[in-house]
Amino acid sequence: MPAETKRESILIVDDEEMNRVILSTIFCEEYEVLEAEDGVQGLEALAMHPHVSAVLLDVIMPRLNGIEMLKQMSEAGLTAKLPVFLITADAADDTMREAYAMGVMDVIAKPVVPYVVHRRVNSVMELFRARRRLSAEVERQKDQLLRQTRELADMSMGMVEALAAAIEFRSDESGSHVRRIRGMTRHILLHTEMGKGLSAEEIDLVSVGAITHDVGKIAIPDAVLNKPGRLTAEEFELMKTHTLRGAELLTHIPQMRDHLAFRYAYDIALHHHERWDGRGYPHGLKGDETPPWTQVVALADVYDALVSKRCYKEPYPAAVAMEMIKGGQCGVFNPVLLRCFEQEEPALAALFRQSKKEEELLWTMQKEKP
Amino acid sequence: MDDAKREALKAAGIDVEDAVRRFMGKEELMMKFLLRFGQDPNFGLLRQALEEGDTARAYEAAHALKGVAGNLSLRVVFARSSELVDSLRAGDLQQAKAGFPALEESYRAVLDAIG
Repeated sequence: MPAETKRESILIVDDEEMNRVILSTIFCEEYEVLEAEDGVQGLEALAMHPHVSAVLLDVIMPRLNGIEMLKQMSEAGLTAKLPVFLITADAADDTMREAYAMGVMDVIAKPVVPYVVHRRVNSVMELFRARRRLSAEVERQKDQLLRQTRELADMSMGMVEALAAAIEFRSDESGSHVRRIRGMTRHILLHTEMGKGLSAEEIDLVSVGAITHDVGKIAIPDAVLNKPGRLTAEEFELMKTHTLRGAELLTHIPQMRDHLAFRYAYDIALHHHERWDGRGYPHGLKGDETPPWTQVVALADVYDALVSKRCYKEPYPAAVAMEMIKGGQCGVFNPVLLRCFEQEEPALAALFRQSKKEEELLWTMQKEKP
Repeated sequence: MDDAKREALKAAGIDVEDAVRRFMGKEELMMKFLLRFGQDPNFGLLRQALEEGDTARAYEAAHALKGVAGNLSLRVVFARSSELVDSLRAGDLQQAKAGFPALEESYRAVLDAIG
């Protein structure tokens, strides 16, 4: 017998010792056999040994008879989980009907014929075993499908990040810029009133949408994008189109259009240069005409630019960057957002340092490669 | 168990081989229960219940006796107690009483054979 079968146990419930001995002798080599002398003891045994694999049940017993015990098992949903066999000397029609209605798997006549009991009990137990294996297999496959779906989602997220990073690289920004914007956006929405009304899932989608905020820069010529000096009015007009071009680009990627994050990504790409006073671009939206989550991305973008090194500037210390933002040197923002941002600034600075460390580590690793 | 004993048990209506098979070939285990048959209270309880006209208790005792007889393959006792069980389940006390002497005869024969 395989080890798995050996560990299974069978409960025999019968008030007659001889009946218990006969049934026990039939099954004791393959199963652990538990015995009970009436229905009360039988239910106690089931409570103590919840992993019993089958119950052989006599009908006429003192205290609690077989039918009453069966009824309680049935009401507790046990008859669906383990097979119950009624072992009875006179299988009266109505008793059998009642028993089957309560979920008995088989009715076996007394006096028992060992090989018949053995075959009938074992084949039903095998059925239950197969059923358990099957549902375990279904669970396993379900897990696998979920994992694969997650892997696919991670993969496409990676592609979006790579695309965004490739574009950031052109303007001398590191790839980690987009990851930091994503992290800061998520943090502020999760921890401040700016995220009011958004579920955790929606916040994740907004953060994903933040990744592609500058995707439209791919349409801006290098000469303008990387010009060290000030842009001419004409060049600036061209530069401003990266918002429109970004939103347009996103609508042309079918996979992006169908993505749950699309509506956020679209709005963020389009409106992350709007200002609270209505003097931003491209649409001159005022106040909360720009959705709060896009406002968050816009501020995160400005902050990250200030504290990062660029070709035209050294990084500002976090405290200085905060003062510059509050002082209105970098645009006009929602006062509530400014308050939230200041409140969370220590956490955001920590996030930035962590990201920097990872970036440096990556550089070191690349340099050390032979 | 020697042959003489086996023959005596068979003569008393006991299907010895069948009984041993029921105990998975363990003859000693079967004999342990067979030798205890005389101490089984159900025959006495059945007689008493029939005399007192208590059909319900007579039914219980007859049913229990039938079960023991079945397990030990006491063919004749089993057949006759089965008849009583059927009569008593139908509530026919008179018919059960009428069948009792035949049951008693087979019961005595088994006890004599066991010795």
